[in-house]
Amino acid sequence: MYGLVNKAIEDLVTIKFGADKWDAIKRKAGIEVDSFISNDAYPDCITYGLVEAATEVLQLPASTILYAFGEFWVLHTAKKGYGDMLSAAGRDMPEFLDYLPQFHTRVALLFPHLKPPRFECSDRRSNQITMHYFSERKGLSVFVEGLLNGVAKLYETPALVEQTRFKEKGDDHDEFLVRWGDALP
Amino acid sequence: MLSANHLDSMFPFHFTVDGEMRIVSAGSALRRICPNVTDGAEFSRCFTFLRFGMLPTETFDGQYILKQRSTLFIFAATCSALVLRMQVLVLENPTRYCFIGSPWVRTPAEMRALNIVLNDFALHDATVDLLQLVQSTDRAIEDARRLTSKFEVQRNDLEQLIDTANAPIVGVDAAGCVLVWNQSMARITGIEKHDALKTHFASKHVSEACAQSVESMIASAVRGELTPVLEFELNTKCGDRRLVICSVSPRHDAAGGVVGAILVGQDITELGEYRSTLEQRVEQRTAQLSQANAELSRAMRSKDDFLSAMSHELRTPLTAVIGLSELLVEGVYGPLGTGQTKPIATIAESGQHLLSLINDLLDVAKIGAGKVELNWGDAEVREVCDASLRLVAQMAQKKHQVLSTRLDAAAPSIRVDERRLKQILVNLLSNAVKFTPDSGSITLETHADMDAGTLTFAVHDTGIGIADEDITRLFTPFTQLDSRLARQYAGTGLGLTLVMLLTEQHGGHVSVTSQVGKGSTFSAVLPWHPTAPRASSPASDEARADVKGATPPALSDTGPVIINADDSESCRMTIGDFLRGHGYRVVDAHNGAEAIAAVFEHHPVLVLMDLQMPQMDGLSAIRLLRSNAVSADLPLIALTSRRLADDRAQCLAAGADEFMSKPVNLPQLLATIGRLTGANSA
Ligand code: HEM
Repeated sequence: MYGLVNKAIEDLVTIKFGADKWDAIKRKAGIEVDSFISNDAYPDCITYGLVEAATEVLQLPASTILYAFGEFWVLHTAKKGYGDMLSAAGRDMPEFLDYLPQFHTRVALLFPHLKPPRFECSDRRSNQITMHYFSERKGLSVFVEGLLNGVAKLYETPALVEQTRFKEKGDDHDEFLVRWGDALP
Repeated sequence: MLSANHLDSMFPFHFTVDGEMRIVSAGSALRRICPNVTDGAEFSRCFTFLRFGMLPTETFDGQYILKQRSTLFIFAATCSALVLRMQVLVLENPTRYCFIGSPWVRTPAEMRALNIVLNDFALHDATVDLLQLVQSTDRAIEDARRLTSKFEVQRNDLEQLIDTANAPIVGVDAAGCVLVWNQSMARITGIEKHDALKTHFASKHVSEACAQSVESMIASAVRGELTPVLEFELNTKCGDRRLVICSVSPRHDAAGGVVGAILVGQDITELGEYRSTLEQRVEQRTAQLSQANAELSRAMRSKDDFLSAMSHELRTPLTAVIGLSELLVEGVYGPLGTGQTKPIATIAESGQHLLSLINDLLDVAKIGAGKVELNWGDAEVREVCDASLRLVAQMAQKKHQVLSTRLDAAAPSIRVDERRLKQILVNLLSNAVKFTPDSGSITLETHADMDAGTLTFAVHDTGIGIADEDITRLFTPFTQLDSRLARQYAGTGLGLTLVMLLTEQHGGHVSVTSQVGKGSTFSAVLPWHPTAPRASSPASDEARADVKGATPPALSDTGPVIINADDSESCRMTIGDFLRGHGYRVVDAHNGAEAIAAVFEHHPVLVLMDLQMPQMDGLSAIRLLRSNAVSADLPLIALTSRRLADDRAQCLAAGADEFMSKPVNLPQLLATIGRLTGANSA
């Protein structure tokens, strides 16, 4: 994955847990890279290694870390690092979610080695949407859950994100139902 | 032609004006953002035309548009901050000017402010992607800034480290000019950094003698080669030199290319000074040692001198004592009164004993000091044994002891120093005689061992025997001899030590077996290989055999003349009286010069020449005599109390026919004189 992803993990850990923890995680993962370059592509194993080391150093389950990382990505990294690109993608959450399928297509123009996820929307109603997530990578569905919750927080829209299909349980892909407003139970 | 819907989806920010400059249509996104853009609205109320670099007098109308149709039109909305970048499309019948394009936004924030979202743009519009690109570039720039500041900190740390390091550090570029010059360098050389920078390091700061090697070290580091540690002298501001030891390594740029060299070193001037002090000290010590060595060898020499001097001093009076008492006994000075013969004989005997002790002492000391060199030759065993026996025969006879030999026929000869072997045997035999009671028997036996390659000379006696525990101590050097032993076997200590030393010097060993009250066997085991027997036999032994039982002759003032040159009165007297007693006319001389004068005056048949004499010593006299035709062939016997190996060789080289050491064995002297003069002595 591109350096900005690894850098985001670094930022998350340093801001929430301190620089010592980050050093410990990096040591644990056996990573010699001093500082990740945002626009350089790194092997996926580095990102996975960092998450795995973080579970040990921070004594947290991987799901907690990935979820937090999803939220953090939207609320912190993407927002901060890409100006208000996320906000510019929609005036409100539904508009943003509509735009999401396009998002990584354009990102891929910037990053030639990107192996971007694919999002598709279906069952678009006024207060809910079904989001389909396709990826070459494994085990990131909790990350997506965190991302979508982050988006809701970004637009200050109380929403419920619910995974309805699981690739790891044999489904074709992961599927999320996002509900807000009246659709909230 | 595009339908209004198609146009809107492709160009959501477009608008069209007619010839009157009134809005006839507009894209949905534009309408939403600028509500005043409605059909029929005057263009000039909705937009301002931004005429960059255009003349202000010109008016924005159809004519102008047609004229400028190939340029980019920039419009600012009147109701918002929106700026549109547009291209005009001119349509005919009716005349329409259709402006197609999109808002000019540089950041997502501007977009937000304009209330535009990404979706407002047509899909083909690159504005969105450019915006993303700008973001990612910003991101990269931010990365760079972050890294730069991080590296700046590191660089500052490093620079401080280098600058304050307690080691001289110099960085040079590929041309060898100074780029880095730390405080330690400034301290050592007294040259400040700003003065050193950009100067050529090797030629400016390194001593002339070392500049070349430093230069080539830097050059090979720049070539990326491994360089060894280098020691060189740095020039200082005040003209001093400081010795440093440096490692030189290449300086790399980010791409890994070599751009110069870094020298990191240590000031070892003090170390160098310490080293040279050490060297000096070593030199001093060496000098002291060699001086000590010289002193030692001087001491050794003076010890030798002392030994020879002592032996001279001791022997000279002893010669007189022995010689005179022998002459008394022989009746040379007239018949002795009853009761006088025995005590005088005892005096002679004691003298002889004392003499042999001195000889032994001297020998032991010399062998101990490694001063004795063996004079190897083939000796006939029988002859040596007989001669040795003869020397103790008289003593044995007095005690009515029986002397016998049992010689191994397999070993007729042996390669030894004959004189020394005789010394060994005589010592063993005389000990045996001493410690064997009257009427006892003493046997000298030889036994060849072909396999071991040894010849054993064993002396058996029927003497008092020696206790086992004493045997082991018997051969230890005299200094360690038990006093009780020494007393009990008075006189043997040195003799046995000498026997042992001499035997060992021959490469052999000594052994002893004994039974108290029954007798002992002392053996000298010598290396041996069968050799051919010798033809001739030493004259001296024969002579001595001849002398045995000779009747004492009367004093003579006639007969063949012998010059007796000796500064010692007692020596002159002893020898002179003895020779006169044997029919020679003896003329005394006190030094070499007198001796020469006497030769020309008295025409002697032979000259006896003592070596150590005042005014002219014996050697010089001998040489002078030999250089003169008259005395060139005159028989000449050199005499000395010193017993240095050199003396003999020197004397013979100077021209003496024989060499005898004092105290002179008088019968032997007589025999030698006889031989040299070709006359029958006595
Ligand atoms: C400015 C905003 C964003 C940027 C620049 C961005 C960029 C990236 C990049 C560079 C990767 C790594 C992929 C690779 O290196 O191969 C990635 C992965 C991912 N992104 Fe985004 N992203 C953005 C926003 C979002 C949002 C809003 C979501 C979802 C709500 C999202 C979902 C994901 C997911 C799930 C992955 C994981 C990769 C995978 O599943 O294969 N991203 N993104």
